[in-house]
Amino acid sequence: MTQFNVHRIGPEIKVGAFDISFTNASLFMIISSVAILLIFSLGSKKNSLLPNKIQLLAELSYTFVSKMISDTAGSKAKPYFAFIFSLFMFVLFCNMFGMIPYTFTVTSHIIVTFVLASFIFIGVTVIGFIKHGFGYLKLFVPSGVPAVLLPLIVVIEIISYLSRPVSLSVRLFANMMAGHTMMKVFGGFVISLGIVGGWLPLSFSVALTGLEILVAFLQAYVFAILTCIYLNDALNLHH
Amino acid sequence: MPKDQFKTRLEIAKKISKKNLYDNKNNPSSIGTAFKLSTELVSAVVVGTIIGFIFDKTFGTKPWFILIFFFVGVVAGITNVIRSAKNMQK
Repeated sequence: MTQFNVHRIGPEIKVGAFDISFTNASLFMIISSVAILLIFSLGSKKNSLLPNKIQLLAELSYTFVSKMISDTAGSKAKPYFAFIFSLFMFVLFCNMFGMIPYTFTVTSHIIVTFVLASFIFIGVTVIGFIKHGFGYLKLFVPSGVPAVLLPLIVVIEIISYLSRPVSLSVRLFANMMAGHTMMKVFGGFVISLGIVGGWLPLSFSVALTGLEILVAFLQAYVFAILTCIYLNDALNLHH
Repeated sequence: MPKDQFKTRLEIAKKISKKNLYDNKNNPSSIGTAFKLSTELVSAVVVGTIIGFIFDKTFGTKPWFILIFFFVGVVAGITNVIRSAKNMQK
């Protein structure tokens, strides 16, 4: 489908064997980052007690994310607020920009979400080792397990730990991709059934648009909250 | 708007927001954790199978490691799901 095609904008740039040309995916990542920067620089420009709309938006999202972090990861995670906040905003804006017709949804490509998730995974693992040293490996050894079963349990725990970035990235990618494909399919039905039978799929695709906006928000939220949960595991080690 | 009227409105708004802070019933994270379960199982199976495939490639023991790690992956996936379900109930 053409909406998922990545194509080059401008000249081809190559570093060694890697093609690092500017594509429409990069364009939309830049657009969302610039939009985030604009909203938050406008929103924090003047701190009035009676906020205007942009300031309200910025303050609401700030309290939303800060409450989410303190609920899931506790007060120890406060230093990582900036990271989780920008992550949440970036995913949210990429999802939401994808809802505008003729735009490109960056998060509907597994490589983008997988890179985000692997950065989180590596970062959380490094934080865990810094905070607890080799005691972090206790995460793989639950307490109260008989010694006979221990090798099996450790293997299971390691696999379940390694599956975190996969589940994190696949969830976001699959939800975005499936939603956009579904809208495309229903849109195609409208065209092929014509003016007689096309009204039913048309109403479906209107409803789907609303659902997709909910999913776009929810997936950004899930992405951020799972990062908080993983961070919580790394900061407060107990099993 | 007169100033004292604004002040009482601010007081009321502060009270409501404080109440909402401790009232976790309408937390959107319940929907979030529900979404979490869907891929938890599958991803562990996939990771287990990939590990088994890599072991088979390096040691040349074609079907065995994939078979073992597939089932270990299934077990890991089920533990994942049970663990996140427990977290939801907290």
